[in-house]
Amino acid sequence: MPQLNPEFFISQLFWLFVTFSFLLVFLWRISLPRISTVLNKREKKINEDIAEAKELQAEAEKIQQSIEDQLKKAHQETSDMLKTSSTSFQEKTADELSKIDEALDSKINESANLIEQNKNESLLKIHENIKDITKLTLSKIAQFNVSDNDISNAVKSAERKIN
Amino acid sequence: MAAKGEKHSPLEQFEIIPYSKTEFGGYDISFTNSSLSMIITVAVITLFLTLTVNPRSIVPSRMQLISELMYNFIAQLLSDTVGDNGKKYFPFVFSLFMFVLIGNMVGMIPYQFTFTSHIIVTFALASVVFIGVTILGFVNHGIKFFTFFYIPGVPFYMHPLLIPIEVISYLSRPISLSVRLFANMLAGHTLLKVFAGFVVAMPFFTGALPLAFIVALTGLEILIAFLQAYVFAILTCLYINDAYHLH
Repeated sequence: MPQLNPEFFISQLFWLFVTFSFLLVFLWRISLPRISTVLNKREKKINEDIAEAKELQAEAEKIQQSIEDQLKKAHQETSDMLKTSSTSFQEKTADELSKIDEALDSKINESANLIEQNKNESLLKIHENIKDITKLTLSKIAQFNVSDNDISNAVKSAERKIN
Repeated sequence: MAAKGEKHSPLEQFEIIPYSKTEFGGYDISFTNSSLSMIITVAVITLFLTLTVNPRSIVPSRMQLISELMYNFIAQLLSDTVGDNGKKYFPFVFSLFMFVLIGNMVGMIPYQFTFTSHIIVTFALASVVFIGVTILGFVNHGIKFFTFFYIPGVPFYMHPLLIPIEVISYLSRPISLSVRLFANMLAGHTLLKVFAGFVVAMPFFTGALPLAFIVALTGLEILIAFLQAYVFAILTCLYINDAYHLH
């Protein structure tokens, strides 16, 4: 087995020492610091970005909160306005209704009065006519004059009977 | 096609071929295929980790992401096993992981030498970990580090038996760590080579069967290459953790 032949042991150890020492020093002094700088730089950048994102998020939340507050306020205001306007409207309609009621009442009263008046007038006229007709009839048929008072008394008693 | 009479051992791929003969202070430090493989590995790692991260972009490209994933993978591993104390050892554990991982991967390229299949290399790496961790234990706990071998809550008459067992298991750490990686790489590559021999040896088109096997085994080997690098790294982390928290 060539591995157990000590002929090249020293040579292999020498070259191992040379190459491995070079590798160790090179990596230690040049390569690894480079990689670690890049990694640190990236980590720093990521952390900064995360911090910035968090800040922006907080800001956005604040803005959202203020928008929500304003919306709530606006809702409150509109509902208040609706409430006040509806109550005032109700009051107004009640006012108007009562005014109309009053007007109607007065008109009804007026009409009732007018009807009463007309009724009385017509009754008087009827009485007159009955009186005239009776007087005329009696005078024409029986040559009999009757006083107005008797006729009106007779009419009144007849009326009472009807009523 | 192999020439007739030429012998192809499955272990031939582990043969070390020197490209030039160099001596230093009486020691042979020739540049070999193993050295070339190590240099390729280190070049791949350093170039990849440097070039992909060069733009240093906050939004990474795919390649940069791979580098970052590897970084995070080992950083996570170390913080899970050792905790905050482990940060100091991150460059070492990361280098170790990448060296073994890319070394294994480079070995998966056909005609490339796998230096992690040589016990001397894995043993050297494991010894660095073992010696380092032992020194760390003594620095952190002083002489109290020896209480590591004393298991609390065990009947007193068991200690004469348990303490030697603990000492032996501690001392065998570099062996188990190195042999695990070495044996896995050796077995995997040998198996691939054996099946490759079948492809040539079998008559007509029946060679397609072992070829299909090789394809499947290559996938398995890539998995093992990653797994062994991971095991090497996680055990290193656990040993570092032991040096901080004795029990």
